[in-house]
Amino acid sequence: MNGARAIRRGATWAGLGLALQLGASFHWTPGSFVLSAAVGIPLVLAGSVQFVVAVLRVMRDKGAL
Amino acid sequence: MLPIPIVVSLAVGLAIVVLLRFGAAPLAAHRWGRIALLVGLAALPLLTSAASVSYGVRESSTTRFCLSCHEMQDHGKSLFADNARALAATHYQNRLIDRDKTCYACHADYGLFGDVKAKVDGLQHVWVHYIGHAPEKLALYRPYQSANCLHCHEDGRRFQEAVAHRPVLSELYGGSRSCLTCHVVAHDRDSVAAQRLWQAEVR
Repeated sequence: MNGARAIRRGATWAGLGLALQLGASFHWTPGSFVLSAAVGIPLVLAGSVQFVVAVLRVMRDKGAL
Repeated sequence: MLPIPIVVSLAVGLAIVVLLRFGAAPLAAHRWGRIALLVGLAALPLLTSAASVSYGVRESSTTRFCLSCHEMQDHGKSLFADNARALAATHYQNRLIDRDKTCYACHADYGLFGDVKAKVDGLQHVWVHYIGHAPEKLALYRPYQSANCLHCHEDGRRFQEAVAHRPVLSELYGGSRSCLTCHVVAHDRDSVAAQRLWQAEVR
């Protein structure tokens, strides 16, 4: 199922973003804060967008939109 | 380390995302599974990230955060300079500003985009700290705005009634005269070098 694969990809990105933020939270410095905000947050955003796009695509394929 | 609730929420969010990642296919086949995916993969990571970045931005305005770079050590010590004419020292020692946000209180503009400008300057500091080269003598990126001083002092009685201020009040308010014209010592690094430092009595 392509939708499931896209959802998994979105989850991977969101997970990576959260993992990065979690790592930064243990070693809180100006550098880790910038890394967390500049890379972690966009990864989570990209994962969430990927998830929503995948769901919309599945709904469109099923004629639910 | 960030506060425990932030760390725990990030860890829980990550665990849920990982669980849902591996259970995406079966979950997507059921209505409640899809709702779980929606909450777990879209809402939860976004909310957790918003909390994390919100706390991070607030934390990045604290005195200890600014002073965590070695380049700022002397400026941090200058808060304790035994010199009543040094602006940073007198503001800090007399508690004229919040001690937890000492740097930010004077070095962030109070205009609409003041916080954003301060954070962009902060990014430049981080770049210089990790990648560039800090100059021997640190200097502001642009001339200091007296509007920052007036934000607090503008209608203060002691400020308005000071003998030295009275003849130049209109110039100060109009911006044609800088506070630093007379208050020339902001951070007294000479006192720091000479170890002339003040320490509050412990009661």
